[in-house]
Amino acid sequence: MSRPEPTDGLGPWQQFLCRACGLIYDEGEGDPDSGLPPGTRFARIPEDWACPICGVTKSDFEPYRRRAPVAPVPVALGPQRRPGAVIVGGGISGWSVAAAIRAADGQVPITLVTACDGSLYHKPELSVALGRGLGPEALRRETGIAAAARLGLRLMAETVAVGLAPARHSLRTTRGPLSYTHLVLAHGARPALPAGLDPALCWRVNDLAAWSSLHAELARGSRTVAVIGAGMVGCELAEDLARAGHAVTLVGAGALPLPELLPEPAGRRLRAGLEGVGVTYRGPSLVSGLSRRADGRIALALSDGTSLAAATVIAATGLATPSRLVRGAGLAFDRGIVVDPATLRTSGPDIFALGDCISLDGRPCRFIEPIARQAEVIAHTILDREHPGYAHAAPVIRLKTRSAPIALHGTPVAGLPWHVVEESPHRLAMEQRQGGDVTAWLAA
Amino acid sequence: MPSALALRQVEDRVAPAGPAAPNRPDWIDAAVLAGTTAIADGPLSAAAGAIDRGAYPLDLLGRLGETGALAVHLDRHGARFGLAVAAMQAASRACGATGFLMWCHAVCGLYLEQSGNPALTGARLDDHAAGRRFGGTALSNPMKAFAGIEPILLRARRVTGGYRVSGMLPWVSHIGPGQYCGAIAGVVGPGDTIGHEIMFLLACDRAELRPCPHFSGMEGTSTWGLRLDNLFVGEDDLIADPARPFIGRIRGAFILLQCGMGLGVAEGSLADMGAVEETLGHVNQFLDDRPDTIAAELAELRARVMQLAETPYESSNDYLIDVLDARAQVSELALRASQSALLHQGARGYLMSAAPQRRIREAHFVAIVTPALKHLRWEMARLSRETLPAATDGGRA
Repeated sequence: MSRPEPTDGLGPWQQFLCRACGLIYDEGEGDPDSGLPPGTRFARIPEDWACPICGVTKSDFEPYRRRAPVAPVPVALGPQRRPGAVIVGGGISGWSVAAAIRAADGQVPITLVTACDGSLYHKPELSVALGRGLGPEALRRETGIAAAARLGLRLMAETVAVGLAPARHSLRTTRGPLSYTHLVLAHGARPALPAGLDPALCWRVNDLAAWSSLHAELARGSRTVAVIGAGMVGCELAEDLARAGHAVTLVGAGALPLPELLPEPAGRRLRAGLEGVGVTYRGPSLVSGLSRRADGRIALALSDGTSLAAATVIAATGLATPSRLVRGAGLAFDRGIVVDPATLRTSGPDIFALGDCISLDGRPCRFIEPIARQAEVIAHTILDREHPGYAHAAPVIRLKTRSAPIALHGTPVAGLPWHVVEESPHRLAMEQRQGGDVTAWLAA
Repeated sequence: MPSALALRQVEDRVAPAGPAAPNRPDWIDAAVLAGTTAIADGPLSAAAGAIDRGAYPLDLLGRLGETGALAVHLDRHGARFGLAVAAMQAASRACGATGFLMWCHAVCGLYLEQSGNPALTGARLDDHAAGRRFGGTALSNPMKAFAGIEPILLRARRVTGGYRVSGMLPWVSHIGPGQYCGAIAGVVGPGDTIGHEIMFLLACDRAELRPCPHFSGMEGTSTWGLRLDNLFVGEDDLIADPARPFIGRIRGAFILLQCGMGLGVAEGSLADMGAVEETLGHVNQFLDDRPDTIAAELAELRARVMQLAETPYESSNDYLIDVLDARAQVSELALRASQSALLHQGARGYLMSAAPQRRIREAHFVAIVTPALKHLRWEMARLSRETLPAATDGGRA
């Protein structure tokens, strides 16, 4: 039967969705097999009518509204007959390896699997962007799709790597399994939240997506913000939030910020600098719990029995490398994926790792500077090119607190005494010595 | 992270189980597997085609019950989940539909036992576990509802002494006159909103069974539409109220048990390939997914499933992702293995009487039955995401 035009004055034909099986009843088409001619309004269908597919009744139908179409996931740019390199992670590490491989070889297939949208951004900017008035669009240097086209790789965005079979060179993802000739793990670390901090009540800033959501919350105007954790990220965020006009309390475990890294004179300068831009420092204090108050604000219960309230809470309590994927595959893991310090090979065949997710001699190294060099080494090894190998050197640690910038060089050791080399109102220089050698020095 | 042991203790305290059936001495591991294998290789293999076309093998299920294959995963019989999976694999190697029926039956037994409800854990559970009475599960819709995939179809209203439940479930398997199934309904509160859900044992004789349209295979699973019209659910019928914490506790075990089905279909397909290796191996060597490839992946996957079956009630996020990942790989492997088996056998596998074409449809079923492959991937993606504050109004400044 042909589809009639509506003439009953009730507007266009409507559609109704069977909640059980997904059949769509279209008023214009009716259900002739059940005696409903085309043009039968849903309201006029007898109550004992049943879904022609699954048999549920009229009451199990609901008005059908089209959902927003799912954005297509970028797919291969060309035929990929060889498995090629598969990279897990769409942060700086993942993209650096992709770029390094492509710079040396225009042909080898590359697939980049990332749980986020694959946007390229410079992560250190996340802790200084609010004070500079930058938004997500300003931080995004290139979309994942554009970068994938530029590098001629297949981007699998919003895709999680869930399983790994090293012997079969197979990676399982939430969009199906992938074969690889070489696998590069660059999935980074995730915020480690102490027990007692409800993840639904506190933000963690470790990627652009999370930062963007926080940015949206903060964009509604000046707020009270509590930052839990006075490590590098906590201190930088606290200052950045204060510069953006928010009333910030920084809760630290020590009497001074960064107690594990900085000697007391440097910590005092840092604290004074933060207080100079309006940050209230609270410590030594630990947060034992979070709860939503009746007025919508969040109460932080402190270990000394007191509490404070804030409209927004951010936890900067450190990072931990997720271990499920690698442990499940039988790869060595020790606070991070164990890699050979010279080749960055993991204990699995043809599997490499770099960036925030690795540990070198049992120590994670979560800084930007080594990543490009690590990516070069891995790219050369994958492509079977000569390379002198990776030589790890402790990166310079720069605290991006403009109120009291601090640079740390060498390998600072917690507990080892620091000696003052220079101390004036404008400058502090200190160093650590071992056996007559200066092993670490700082300038504040 | 609470251990499975800790969970059991809580359960025991809340509702002591009824007089437990003595462990049947003949239900030792080797005997259960040998008994199941004998049935699978004998009468079940012979009946697989008929079951595919519509014969409901209650007699064979009764015999499988006698061997202990439907009971060994229960706490009262040693919580031997690995053995239960192995038994389902052995049966599914002969007939995927029967493997599915075993799973329906096994999880129904799990609901009864874990309910802690004395009315459900006594003789009723003993009869069920031994395969003297039969019942399945109607949790496809609520499982999807809990994952945020679709709305819940059964609605309950609170009344004196219990609830009244109405609604329609389109296809529920391993039910029939005199049988029963576990079901979940959303309790409608003020403003027509659902505040919580209840889980209950639904006796089919108190509901209307409606014939389903024809499926492309596995027609002998006794699958019906179920219509409930103001059905009273009293305390004796309740499995869990509220249902969500209960489902959270048994979810890993529920999904893990399904792995037996797909492993069996893949193993049966492997046998189909091997059956023609001598005659067709010279040309079959040009196919993908050769028997050695499938066998290696099957062995690795089965070992992983057995490892997970050691702690079926573990509640950590990582464990649940491990279970979902294994279940997803079971689907993928069954699909690839069955496809390859038909290509290996060629026209003889394409005959309507041949096992390979039946196994392809069984493998498709493994990949679409709840949780379907797409649901598993959706759920793994969801569980992998970090929880962050809702990006709405985060309270007053």
